[in-house]
Amino acid sequence: MSSHSPGSQEHDNRQPDPILEITDTNVTYTDGESYVLEDASVSIHRDEILGIVGESGSGKSMFASAILDAVPDPGVLTGQLRYNGPDGTVDILGLSDEQLRAFRWEEIAMVFQGAMHSFNPTMKIKTHFTETLQSHDRSVSEGMSFARELLESLYLEPERVLNAYPHELSGGMQQRALIALSMVLNPEVLIMDEPTAALDLLMQRSILSLLHDLQAEYDLTIVFITHDLPLVAGIADRMAIIYAFEFVEIGPRDAIISNAAHPYTRALLQATPNINSPLEAMESIEGQGPAPANVPSGCRFHPRCPVATEECESVDPALEGAESNRHRVACHHVERAREELTVSTDEAGAFSATESTTRPSTDGEPLLELSDLEVHFESSQGLPEGLIGDPDVVRAVDGVSLSIEPQDLVCLLGESGCGKTTLGKAMIGLQEPTGGSITFRGDPLDEHDDARAALQIIHQDPSSALNPNRRIVDILSEPLLHTHPNASIAERRSRITSLLERIGMTPADAYIERYPHQLSGGEQQRVVLSRALLMDPDAVLADEAISAVDVSLRIEIMDLLLELQAEFETSYLFISHDLSNARYITEHAGGRIAVMYLGEIVEIGTAQRLLTDPRHPYTEVLRWATPALGLDTDGDDEPPVREIDVPDPINPPSGCRFHTRCPVARETCVDTSPELRDCADVDGAVACFRSDPDHQYWESEPLDGASERPE
Amino acid sequence: MQMSTDTDVNWQSERTDEAIDWRDRLHEGFVLRIYEPAIIAWSDRRTQTGLLIVLVYLSMALVDLLGLWRDASTSQAPRMLGAFQNWSYPLGTTQSGVDVLALIIDSTPFILQMVLAGGVWATGVAVIAGTISGYKGGLTDSVITAISDFFMSIPGLPLVIVLGITLEPESPLVLGVILTINYWAGLGRSIRSQVLSIRNESYVEAARAMGTSTVRIIRKDILPNLMPYVLVNFVFAARYTIFAAVALYFLGVLPYTGQNWGITLNYAYNQGALFGLEAIHWLLAPIIAIVGLACGLILLSQGMDRIFNPRVRTRLTGESESVESTPDHTTEVR
Repeated sequence: MSSHSPGSQEHDNRQPDPILEITDTNVTYTDGESYVLEDASVSIHRDEILGIVGESGSGKSMFASAILDAVPDPGVLTGQLRYNGPDGTVDILGLSDEQLRAFRWEEIAMVFQGAMHSFNPTMKIKTHFTETLQSHDRSVSEGMSFARELLESLYLEPERVLNAYPHELSGGMQQRALIALSMVLNPEVLIMDEPTAALDLLMQRSILSLLHDLQAEYDLTIVFITHDLPLVAGIADRMAIIYAFEFVEIGPRDAIISNAAHPYTRALLQATPNINSPLEAMESIEGQGPAPANVPSGCRFHPRCPVATEECESVDPALEGAESNRHRVACHHVERAREELTVSTDEAGAFSATESTTRPSTDGEPLLELSDLEVHFESSQGLPEGLIGDPDVVRAVDGVSLSIEPQDLVCLLGESGCGKTTLGKAMIGLQEPTGGSITFRGDPLDEHDDARAALQIIHQDPSSALNPNRRIVDILSEPLLHTHPNASIAERRSRITSLLERIGMTPADAYIERYPHQLSGGEQQRVVLSRALLMDPDAVLADEAISAVDVSLRIEIMDLLLELQAEFETSYLFISHDLSNARYITEHAGGRIAVMYLGEIVEIGTAQRLLTDPRHPYTEVLRWATPALGLDTDGDDEPPVREIDVPDPINPPSGCRFHTRCPVARETCVDTSPELRDCADVDGAVACFRSDPDHQYWESEPLDGASERPE
Repeated sequence: MQMSTDTDVNWQSERTDEAIDWRDRLHEGFVLRIYEPAIIAWSDRRTQTGLLIVLVYLSMALVDLLGLWRDASTSQAPRMLGAFQNWSYPLGTTQSGVDVLALIIDSTPFILQMVLAGGVWATGVAVIAGTISGYKGGLTDSVITAISDFFMSIPGLPLVIVLGITLEPESPLVLGVILTINYWAGLGRSIRSQVLSIRNESYVEAARAMGTSTVRIIRKDILPNLMPYVLVNFVFAARYTIFAAVALYFLGVLPYTGQNWGITLNYAYNQGALFGLEAIHWLLAPIIAIVGLACGLILLSQGMDRIFNPRVRTRLTGESESVESTPDHTTEVR
């Protein structure tokens, strides 16, 4: 669609033409004592995509609110915000309430996280559009035809979407409709605050490439705020890194990725699980970002910084040009940071063959064995419909066979709604299967006496996995009451403190008296992990165990999982939607990744094999969807699927379930369903006709829109 | 609270000591269940006021039981004395020469017992029915829901009147139960819906994965999260009991057994206290007694809210006794 390439040379040489100039802007709370945004001075250039990256609680959303003068009470916004629109320069802070209301959607529009909360559930999507147009005194008929155009360019069917209620659309469709809604008044600037965080990777990538096209087509300026550095690196022209309520580095994307100057940026690049860099290179950042009430003196990053000196403790570095004025950084020791902190991003394909990724096969019986497992949910209906006709059946898990050895690691990978959590819960006996069988150490799961205690779970969101009304010591005593029923209080305490010290929560005596809300997310997840492990389990289901944890801590938690696996001699069933995390943990543990699609396993194999030699087209799609930190990655490649949206699981496609989206589907795939069979030449198994060179697939005609691609 | 360092048991070790230290457990239980909650509750002005008001009523009941004030009887005093005119009869006297303060004090134990019975019955049944049907689901849920639907559809007041006339309850406890006979149904419904949402929390699933018994899950993981709601509704039920009892006594539907505030109101009304000022004290005294008790209970329950909110709880213990040795990063601004 466009030949726009981000951060390219000609872009660099263009004279900067700022559309928004933000100077010395502060947001303070409690009478100016705690800053949630401090001395922000950034200019946003016309028609660029600026990516703003920061951990949760670093003030990045506050920056977005500040641009629109929409800081929630009792926050106080000071500074200077100038907007150079088509009708001259506007001082945003000087606008009256009425002017601000018009300004907000017509000049600068905002897209929030969670689209499901941005739509009124009782109004059709169309009403949202017409109300927006009416309240800004625009012509509804013209506006609606523009809206249809926008929806179409976002791969949505305008009529269907406009006449639907929000709940009738999937999360990805809602998010795209929201983007269309925010653009319907043709604003100059679009501010997006984590617009894709609630979505699957594939949908994220698809939306990002759509955004890239939209930006070029409608001459938009986009400010993209996210915690996910690799995601935004694909489309941004310039990037800004925010840490503890201050911008620490701003510069062109290429400079940030390949020549980052601030130690935090370098550490962040290193801490992000990434499918291109070697495993050993990834390490997490120690500690966590400060709360607004106790920001460290001097450079805010110095307590976590490996190159910090005394100067850093006392003098707050200014945001100055490093090489040029285009690349500014707030650090005293740029040279040393660049020398001492290595970042290995652009050595693509750095797979070390040294790591033996296949686990020595155990001769004993498998710990858990699933054969042809099915979990179907009937959606319950009211009385009249329930009597007439069949209820809708969601085939969450449909015929899965898998075996898990003792001390094994299997990672279930797939988009949300593909049944990976249901499969995981069925495997540990928390979800009754409707068909097939599960055996635990040779016996049926529900007849084995020790099975209940031996199969444990780690939930996705640690804050809801801990009872808010119980102290850590009470929470962790619970498993000990099962494993050591006769232990005294003193003994239980002593066991708990020693374990907490082992997992790095010191002083443990102080921690055990606390309630869950007094711990940070990472600490909560450690407690959840300890609770599962104190049961002395044989297998633990880690259900997206790191998705709710800050990016810089993910590697740390995964390392902890791996270390404790050896000490507790347990198997893991790791559920993830993110290929780079899945790759990190499986490759370290020598496990396998099982790729799921609509209730079925479509491919299984070691991480290395799936990345270098994927056999199923869906695995390739996931590989594409995983953002890679590299200079050659551009946002404007088309998604390698024919349909962006996942089909309805109530009524899955016939034949191979992926055929509706598969880029290489042929006539055969529509009515015959491939079985999961072992690959002949490599490890693992795949459910695709393409793995069989003699299959009739090769003779049949490609489907509409599918490529011939003989290979 | 340092009690862990003397015995050193590693998390991996196999040994367990058989002895269960009851002294430790008692001490910990005392600090955790009584001492700390008391400090937190007392730190709230609403609790303080509510507690004082409730104490006044309790002492009135005590005065009656110990016989420290005269019993109410006719012609014990000059007729129709106004309030605060004769300090032997501070609240004045009635048409038939009864000390109004004696009337009020005489009824206090009866009313308190009735209120307690009504509150405990209504919330107790509601909590049991609500948690069981919410947590168990399936057939149990359908049966309990059907029963509570049945009770909800019976009009409350006529039912209570009919029961009052047929059973002629004289015991305050029985009366309390009768007055709130179908109060539990609606409350049970809303508790059930709360349990339904808590049941799906991850920590309940984790407890199930550990094989924790249903009773323990309900007791440790579900009930504590419901407590603020249950407590507020206990007070509402208690208030409902007083109001209903007084109204029914006033209407003359319930059997007159001795003295009570509703009967006093009824007599005052019949003597025309509504239309003249000379009997106003006779009317106001029971009204103030009723409203005061209701207010005291509501204030108390609002203050008790704090005990069950761990966020408020930790902040307050942190202030009153220096438990926190390290500065806490996470409790403050969200």
